[in-house]
Order: sequence, then C-alpha cells, then structure tokens
Amino acid sequence: MAEKRRAMVKIKPKKYNVGDTVKVDFIIIHPMDTGMQKDKKTGEIKPAKYIDNVTFKLDGKPFSQMKVWETVSTNPYFSVNLKVPGKGKITVEYSDNTGEKGSKSKKLKPKG
Amino acid sequence: MERRNFLKGLGAASLVAVTTPTFINAKEEAAKAAPKGPNALSYDNAIRVIADGKEIKVSDKVDLVVPEIAENGAVVPVKVNVDHPMEENNYVKAIHILAKENGNARCADVMLTPLNGKGYFATRVKLAKTQDVVAVVELSDGTFLSANKSVKVTIGGCG
Repeated sequence: MAEKRRAMVKIKPKKYNVGDTVKVDFIIIHPMDTGMQKDKKTGEIKPAKYIDNVTFKLDGKPFSQMKVWETVSTNPYFSVNLKVPGKGKITVEYSDNTGEKGSKSKKLKPKG
Repeated sequence: MERRNFLKGLGAASLVAVTTPTFINAKEEAAKAAPKGPNALSYDNAIRVIADGKEIKVSDKVDLVVPEIAENGAVVPVKVNVDHPMEENNYVKAIHILAKENGNARCADVMLTPLNGKGYFATRVKLAKTQDVVAVVELSDGTFLSANKSVKVTIGGCG
C-alpha cells in the first residue's frame, strides 16, 4: 500500500527559542475503525483498523512513545511538549494494527 | 438392585442437567450477543495491567481537562497536565488515559522523557456513553497518581 496518509506535525508557538517548552501536535487522517461498526453501504462489519503506536523522535531519538487503542477518535490527534535543545528535526512515526506504517517530519528551528 | 439405583440416579441427574441451564445461560448468552471489540478489557482489569496491584493515589497534581458535556461522544478532547518536575532522575514517566465504561477501557498511553519539559499529553477519545474519564500517571520513582472526571455524553461515540 503506497498511498501516503495526510498528516501534519505542528509546533506551537511558531516562534520559539532554545530552552523554551513548545507544544508538538500530530494529526493524521485515519479511520480508527473499531471492528464493531457496519459499513452503511454493504451492511458488512468493517474490520478493525486503528493506529496502535506513535513515536515522536528528535533527530532519530525517541522522546515520546504512545500506545493507542481503537477507542481514540477517527483522524487522531496527539500532543506532547518538547523543551527545545537546539536546531533539529522532529519525526513522528506511526503504525496501525494491519501493519501499515508511515511518518511525518517537521524541522525544529529556534530563533535564538 | 444397585444397577437399577445407579441408572435411576443417572436419569435424575440428566433431568437436572437439562432443566437448570436456562437460568445460568441467559446471562452468558446476553454477554455473548453484545458486540465485543478486538481489545475488550474492563476498567478494573486495565488498572491491574497498568499498576500491577500498586497503590494509585488520587492527586490534584494531575490536572485532567475534559468537557463536562460532550455533544459528540465520538470526539471528546482529553488533556492532562501533571504538576511535577521533568528532570533526569525525577520525571513523569507515563500518562494513561482510560474510559471507565467503554468496552475497552484503555484509550491511549504516552511514555514521556525529561526532554518533554512538561508532563503533558492531549488526545481525542470515543466515549460510548456518559462515564468517568481517568488519567493514571506513573512517576519515575514508581509512584502512581490519578484524577478522574465525569463526561456527560449526549450522542454515544461508538457508532
């Protein structure tokens, strides 16, 4: 499956310095199907398909690791803080229960 | 004589076996009929898995922010702020978010590190009905803290 899911990594506020604690948000378009709902068109149960792991990394090193269940909302949103150590690259990696994997990155660019 | 009694006893026993199940199995049948997700887990069992019998103290250091009333149970924002340092040897190690009455009481966990700067986590969860949302916080020294808040759900979140 080569289709890339729409996802976004956001850093808030937009302007920050080394030593500041920023908010890092990740949001991704994903059904988070529980495996208990019927497809309205076919009447068949939609199989469970939900993100089960999310890792936030800074320059390849994990700083937040999440375990996620099907009880998290569709198009899931996750947010943590990061104390800015300097310039770098934030990468958020995810995987779901069907083996699908993906990632999204955002540069960490402190003003000072 | 003995054989006759034995057979009589067998007959009586089989009668009992045939008649009593209707009472015992009604509850089991109802439980089987209710849809179960892939990870059905009760709140109590989820707590056992998370804290393994250790004491969990309700603490106002755990600020759990949820709406009082959720118009849409499918998307309920949950925010947790823990008033605790995030230093090398003293930090918030994990935040677990649970929903007491969901078929699967677990929603999301985050394992944090001192690099986070703050013991903070936010996400959006599905709530099947009005219930308590619980945040269980694990500190690096092995202590468990928690907070819980009730969320009123007008439209259930599981379809």
